[in-house]
Amino acid sequence: MAGLSFDNYRRNKSLEASGVLPPKTTSTGTTIVGCKFNGGVILSADTRATAGMVVADKNCLKLHRLAPNIWCAGAGTASDNDKVTELESSQLEIHSQWTGRAPRVVTALTHLKQHLFKYQGHVGAYLIIAGVDVTGSHLFSLHAHGSTDVGPYLALGSGSMAALSVLESKWKEDLTKEEAMELCSEAIMAGVFNDLASGSNVDLCVIEKGKPSRLHRGYKQPNQRLQKQRNYNFDIGTTSYFEAGSEVFYISKQSDLETSAMEVDQVS
Amino acid sequence: MSIVSQSPYVDMKALKKGEVNLGTSIMAIKFKDGVILGADSRTSMGAMVANRVTDKLTKVHDNIWCCRSGSAADTQAVSEYVRLYLDQYKINYGREPTPKTAAALFRKLCYENKNVLTAGIICAGFDEKTGGEIYSIPIGGSVHKQDYAIAGSGSSYIYGLCNTHYKQEMSQDEAVEFVKMSLTQAIRWDGSSGGCIRMVILTKNGVERLLFTPQEYQLN
Amino acid sequence: MSRFNPYGDSSGGSSLAIAGADFAILAGDTRHSTGFSIDSRDQSQIADLGDGLFLTSNGFSADAKQLVDDLRTQIKWYHHNNNDHKLSISAAARTTMMLLYGKRFFPYYVNPIMIGMADDGTGAVYSFDPLGSYDREPSRAAGHASELLMPFLDNQVTFANQLDPQTGEPRKRLDLDLQTAVDLVKDAFTGAAERQVQVGDTLEIVILTKDGVDRQYYDLRRD
Repeated sequence: MAGLSFDNYRRNKSLEASGVLPPKTTSTGTTIVGCKFNGGVILSADTRATAGMVVADKNCLKLHRLAPNIWCAGAGTASDNDKVTELESSQLEIHSQWTGRAPRVVTALTHLKQHLFKYQGHVGAYLIIAGVDVTGSHLFSLHAHGSTDVGPYLALGSGSMAALSVLESKWKEDLTKEEAMELCSEAIMAGVFNDLASGSNVDLCVIEKGKPSRLHRGYKQPNQRLQKQRNYNFDIGTTSYFEAGSEVFYISKQSDLETSAMEVDQVS
Repeated sequence: MSIVSQSPYVDMKALKKGEVNLGTSIMAIKFKDGVILGADSRTSMGAMVANRVTDKLTKVHDNIWCCRSGSAADTQAVSEYVRLYLDQYKINYGREPTPKTAAALFRKLCYENKNVLTAGIICAGFDEKTGGEIYSIPIGGSVHKQDYAIAGSGSSYIYGLCNTHYKQEMSQDEAVEFVKMSLTQAIRWDGSSGGCIRMVILTKNGVERLLFTPQEYQLN
Repeated sequence: MSRFNPYGDSSGGSSLAIAGADFAILAGDTRHSTGFSIDSRDQSQIADLGDGLFLTSNGFSADAKQLVDDLRTQIKWYHHNNNDHKLSISAAARTTMMLLYGKRFFPYYVNPIMIGMADDGTGAVYSFDPLGSYDREPSRAAGHASELLMPFLDNQVTFANQLDPQTGEPRKRLDLDLQTAVDLVKDAFTGAAERQVQVGDTLEIVILTKDGVDRQYYDLRRD
């Protein structure tokens, strides 16, 4: 059957009741922002993923491509974001093949919000969706329960308060691309430095009318790893063992693999 | 029955954890030439203002609009459904749906899904035959046809105010002033309401939108 | 109905101590946080108790502050009663235990570490649990990153489960020289700051030798 499996729902409930804690999910406790400018729209995100108070990934990518002209930034549960955006990009590709047109931002938005509403917030994806289409450039936010908002600048995630403080004080109408990029990265940096769940680098994506979208991976890198004081290589023989021995593993010849693979290709 | 469930405003505990809440002041009034819908523009997530320029006045058909309160996700989903049904109505029957039809659809959705929805809706529209009509559909799915309706968490502060100052057959300017004055007070006393005041005026001439920033409506 | 909770989650990051043959080091980061917010980037968590004793108490920081006040009071009384005789670290550690166990059924939510120079001139590290159980140890880490710091110390200070490649015998614990120990402390904290969000900003290191006290500061990541 298609869809999610709820087979273990009752089992997990009873485990939880008897004191077995559920595993920690990776959360992109995050700062993400979006901002419009006079020729398009920008998305930006930090790159820290956390599991509780531990950094799970120091450089994860939170900007997802839904279509060549539509991107989204995700906060909330990492796996839900990955899957929901993957699913939506497939749907949009099929949709645009079917219609023979570039997909619209509202199409992605409506489809995603209907999906998330169906799951009543249990699919924990909090998204900022941005893109350009035949009707112009658009910027939306979408919460896990299925509500949407519109705005010229938006922020989501645990660092959204810090990011919004920058956006609310420095945003103005008719920003140029360069100004908007600077504003977005500054907003993310506010989240990176002031929210513990956000950190590491700033990723940024520029979506412009009539131009290919450009993803700037590591647009700002203000938290480079410091040089270690000492070298921690161990001398050979440091690890204790009970007995030593060796075994030779035979690998099938490279040429054997090639012939079997080539047979299919060699039809002439 | 508990006091909470009889309360006229949204039961905050009914909202799911982390849900976006339209802790709201909304109203709609009838006047001489039609109806005016009004709303504040604040949406909150707990103590945080998630959006300060929200549009809670939603079009469900050319001449029929609604004010949304309660869960943002639920009310958006419900009004999208009503919009779809009203579009289909027009295609199937070849005539404009009436505000009463829209209210009946809202009622049906809100009543039959009352276990999962947190939605308080005011449905208002202009009808060529009957003029302006206002229907309040609070949580639970009952329908109340009224000359004016107020709802949302901020409404409890202005029951007396509206009751005292509402007049039938007001001019448009009077009506706009009445809505602005009422919502100003609701916003002033309710912490979960705020931002701008938005209005939609529905008359035989069509739709007119108004926006009042805090500088424009606040007394000081 | 919710009741008042006397314990909060406001806390300093992490701290670490290493004892050497003629020195003791106590280090802690200067970040103080509540939940996902930073309260301070430059709050020292190393308390100078006097008499060449230094203490960190990771855990609930209001309790940590109270414990330091209690200890200072005890030391002051000790001076009054004993003609300003210097309190030895072994006695200070026992006093700390008495204070902690005195609140057996309403404990301070802290994991204290104390350093000083022992009577025989060696560096001493004492660590405690919240109820007062304590021990003298070669090294100890406490706080949010203790799970990250402690295995590193076990590996690099006590050489746990390692062989000497030359002899094939378990690797002997050498007496660390001071510079190596300080470098280990720095590397331990830069590593912890990479993976623990409550650790960062600045590392404060107190180095105790027979010549006196030296304080060093070292930048950590600020995100």
